[in-house]
Amino acid sequence: MTSRIKIDPISRIEGHLRIDAEVDGGFVSKAWASCTMWRGIENILIGRDPREAWLFAQRFCGVCTTVHAIASVRAVEDALKLQIPPNAQYIRNLILIHHALHDHIVHFYHLSALDWIDVMQIPKADPVKTASLAQSLSSWTRNSPQEFKSAQDKVKALASSGQLGIFANGYWGHPAMHLSPEVSLLGFTHYLQALEFQRKSNQIVAILGGKTPHIQNMTVGGVANAIDLDSLGTLTMDRLQMIRSLIDEVIPFVHEAYFPDVCAIAGMYPEWFDIGGGVNNYLAVPDLPNDGSASHFDLPGGVIFSGDRNAVKPFKSAADEEFRQAVTEDNTRAWYKGSVFHPYKGQTNPDYTDFQDNGKYTWVKAPRYEWRPMQVGPLSNILVGYAQGHPLTRKWTDLALGRISAVAKRNVTVDQLQSTMGRYAARAIRSAMLADLAVKHCELLTNNILSGDVATHNPPQFPKGEIEGVGTHEAPRGTLSHWVVIKDAKLVNYQAVVPTTWNASPRDIQGNVGPYEASLMRNPVADPERPLELLRTVHSFDPCMACACHTFDPDGREIARVKVL
Amino acid sequence: MSEVLIAGIGNVLLGDDGVGPFSVKVLESQYDFPHNVELADLGTPGLDLPVYLLGADAVILVDSAKFGGEAGDIRMFRKQEILNIPPSTRIDPHSPTLRESFSLLELLGAIPREFLMIGMQGGRFDPGSGLSTPVRLCIPHIIDAVLRELRRLNVWCEPKASVKPPGTWWDSLRRNTTGKALLG
Repeated sequence: MTSRIKIDPISRIEGHLRIDAEVDGGFVSKAWASCTMWRGIENILIGRDPREAWLFAQRFCGVCTTVHAIASVRAVEDALKLQIPPNAQYIRNLILIHHALHDHIVHFYHLSALDWIDVMQIPKADPVKTASLAQSLSSWTRNSPQEFKSAQDKVKALASSGQLGIFANGYWGHPAMHLSPEVSLLGFTHYLQALEFQRKSNQIVAILGGKTPHIQNMTVGGVANAIDLDSLGTLTMDRLQMIRSLIDEVIPFVHEAYFPDVCAIAGMYPEWFDIGGGVNNYLAVPDLPNDGSASHFDLPGGVIFSGDRNAVKPFKSAADEEFRQAVTEDNTRAWYKGSVFHPYKGQTNPDYTDFQDNGKYTWVKAPRYEWRPMQVGPLSNILVGYAQGHPLTRKWTDLALGRISAVAKRNVTVDQLQSTMGRYAARAIRSAMLADLAVKHCELLTNNILSGDVATHNPPQFPKGEIEGVGTHEAPRGTLSHWVVIKDAKLVNYQAVVPTTWNASPRDIQGNVGPYEASLMRNPVADPERPLELLRTVHSFDPCMACACHTFDPDGREIARVKVL
Repeated sequence: MSEVLIAGIGNVLLGDDGVGPFSVKVLESQYDFPHNVELADLGTPGLDLPVYLLGADAVILVDSAKFGGEAGDIRMFRKQEILNIPPSTRIDPHSPTLRESFSLLELLGAIPREFLMIGMQGGRFDPGSGLSTPVRLCIPHIIDAVLRELRRLNVWCEPKASVKPPGTWWDSLRRNTTGKALLG
């Protein structure tokens, strides 16, 4: 018998992500990902000065503000063929790294850990046993029995008050949950600690960017940070040291809490390395340039088709010629007019119908690369890096797979990262790499300044006539690209192809499903009323639909309603 | 002195959703605040919200709201009313998370001692449309509500000697009608 599950956030103004799935014999047989939100926000930039576009672009999204700011200035710089000074590159890189670390930590602990940890197991845990387990996994300094006892007491107090507070809405006791009480307590304790460290990572963004959210220091041609080692109010040695000491606090949390936690929990759910693979074409752009001209990158990019890592095509530059040609957006199944456009020619003219299974059903366009759907995100980042033999990627990936395999008591391979759990593991691997790179880029900046280079900005010159450019960034959720067309120093087109558009894309003109939809196929569903397994797979992508509204609803009507039809 | 946070929440590019950040800019342009008061435009912070609330003794939030009134109507909410909202199933990290933020802070024992949320009913939320006239006209009510709450908290601010227009740079969007034309 086929039943249909609809997970629909009942939202006031804009929707978010809606998932429809047909379940047959306990497994998903068909899926649709729909965004119920109009995404034509770029249109407001048309006619504006390209130098101020980043200021608006970073308001596209509430959480990933910095990524849009940086993609926007990179797009205009690309159109102008304008290089930026090395200091500007390093400052941007430090902002990007710490934004990403912050985002990845929040994703694992605060968005998705409770999909795997059954909070109701926590009161049964033995804090002493938890501590010895935790100490066997890592040398994290905050793994004492007292630390675990104190976290456990918080849960007990909440449970005995009869009000579950933050836990009121979990799928507790679900048959797909099977961590021991001790592992549950371990993960939950670090969930509480994580808040402190994601905050510290964000503080680095604030020091360099002026404030968060919404950094203030971007400019086409570089950054607006004045560097003067003798003056207050600019980027001084004191501030650089403050950044370094924050980095030194964040790194141990990433390497000794987040990374081992993900490896341990992944090893305890090895079946999830066989579920949720979906689209096996992968795209990542190179990022963290090492010099002003962006000729060498610390995060490699490229494409993999059909999961064939041996045939990886590396990208040489941040916006490789092939990438520029290959990307299109397909409106066929989205609520927009027209069919397939290159982003420079992209159109965002609404054509709303109802949700039609076989017609239009979402506000998300379908980006394609040489007509293929692509998966983007940390997993793509790790797979294209690993395939190219990138040493830092190999180091942390091999370490993760070794730990996961040891816990799982079976061999988990690189290829099995193409799964729901693989996306969690890849995000932790990427975070471990970024923590190493944070130190590197802080040193690159400090040494470059100490060598006497204080330049942070090359002024832009706009030519008469029409120019085009693309700015890319390998953001926390994957490849982001902003495409600009400038005529006589005014924007005449602006299209942002965001990571979630790639992953949440609908079917296209050829009927190919997008990555969310493909990954849900054959997902088990033990209880259609409580589709925990679907949430695990969807959460593994770190969805980010609502680059948008936050209107408060006192009746809580934003509740994501699960409906079995 | 204890820390007071006055924060605007919302997306300034989406019509009346920007009423919170707009109100904060108006407050900044009209009053001098003591050092223990921080004003912030938090945008749409989603799950990041608790981080910004950590460490504050008193919090005043201004946000657009939907409670079924006329555009420009105001409703106030205290801590308990927020905690009484039913929790939701999270699909993405951006969903409105005031209730969740409170629960997390409660768990950490870090929930602000004093809390007021000033919600204003919005009317239109089209990209680039700016604040609607009814909402714009009712901004002074929000300012009054913030000032009353500050007095209740025994925090005193001074009107600025010379008032400049609020720094709502995004308001220039209203001159650009492209977004609206496309929507129409």
